[in-house]
Amino acid sequence: MTAELDEGLERVEVDAPLDLAFQGVVRLIVGGIAEQADFGFEAMDDLQLAIERLLAETGGDGRVKISFELGDGVVRTRIGPLREGRLAAALQESNGEPGTLSLARILSAVVDSFGVEPALDGQIVVRLEKLGTPRP
Amino acid sequence: MSGSGNGARAARQREDRELLRRYHEQGDTAAREQLIARHLPLVRSLARRYAGRGEPLEDIEQVGAIGLIKAIDRFDVERQVSLATYATPNVVGEIKRHFRDKGWAIRVPRSLQELNARMSSAIDDLTGRLGHSPSVGEIAESLGTTKEEVLEALEVGSAYTALSLDAGPAGSDDDGDPMETIGGEDAEFDRSEDRATIGPALERLPDREREILRMRFEEGLPQTQIAERVGLSQMHVSRLIRRSLAAMREELE
Repeated sequence: MTAELDEGLERVEVDAPLDLAFQGVVRLIVGGIAEQADFGFEAMDDLQLAIERLLAETGGDGRVKISFELGDGVVRTRIGPLREGRLAAALQESNGEPGTLSLARILSAVVDSFGVEPALDGQIVVRLEKLGTPRP
Repeated sequence: MSGSGNGARAARQREDRELLRRYHEQGDTAAREQLIARHLPLVRSLARRYAGRGEPLEDIEQVGAIGLIKAIDRFDVERQVSLATYATPNVVGEIKRHFRDKGWAIRVPRSLQELNARMSSAIDDLTGRLGHSPSVGEIAESLGTTKEEVLEALEVGSAYTALSLDAGPAGSDDDGDPMETIGGEDAEFDRSEDRATIGPALERLPDREREILRMRFEEGLPQTQIAERVGLSQMHVSRLIRRSLAAMREELE
């Protein structure tokens, strides 16, 4: 894991196995990142859930790079490159039939914005942006 | 693989399918027994991967056999997937759950378990008092501990939740390891087919969990409001959401 200061933005990069056994480690790191951004419990929990569900969809094979940028009350996350074509399709699905629960719908509820960027060799990078709850 | 190898495998799959039909359509329990016996070598093979981790191999095999039986009982004969492919994640999931369940009691320090237990009411109290979702720093201060310990204790709760999926619907138990599936194309087909049936996976959740998911992801309510509506703590709601989503995902494996 590396961390650096870049023009007021803190940047943290993690390269972790996708194996289920490391989910807790990733969740702890995300919690630490959210804490640094002064997120409340709920916003932190949302960001952890978003990343957890995304990683679960990748199938648990290989490794993943996750980078975080901590701005003023915001955490921007980039996950990938990933080889998951299905993941890109799942993210581009509409919210689905009534009574169903797609990955896109889950992310819509727990992060402020998300998207997919093409990467080299047909791979993708998933972007998430989460704002902290405004404090009085 | 040789042509004769493929042929033998295809013949074996046809026999399995016939036995599955006899069991599911005619209630022939002898066919079920035969299926169990035919696939015990698969269980033994998978169990051996988990040998040498402090559990007798025989016990691991028995746990794996439970996964096999669940797979046979839940198998849908209309699915175009082999029983071995379908059963493998069930068997592995059952074995991994067994290890994880034991791990909880052994590895998690009591102090973290206790902190986790105190945290739930602390978060609710602080949310009410401060008028916003408390930060990790605020939770730590109210409990007289460090931010790091709060994060660790939260993680302990998440880990425990992940281990407790037995309480959820009858899922296939594991997030799956591609090394532990047989017949890659079948598994792939199975997964994409099931993605379209996430609705039924949602329907199999208990009413309370399904209602919580509906409030969170259809109504877009925050955890605090859901917690008030259902009379649970915010942390409990968070765990139920996480557990339900994981259970639905596992059901699709």
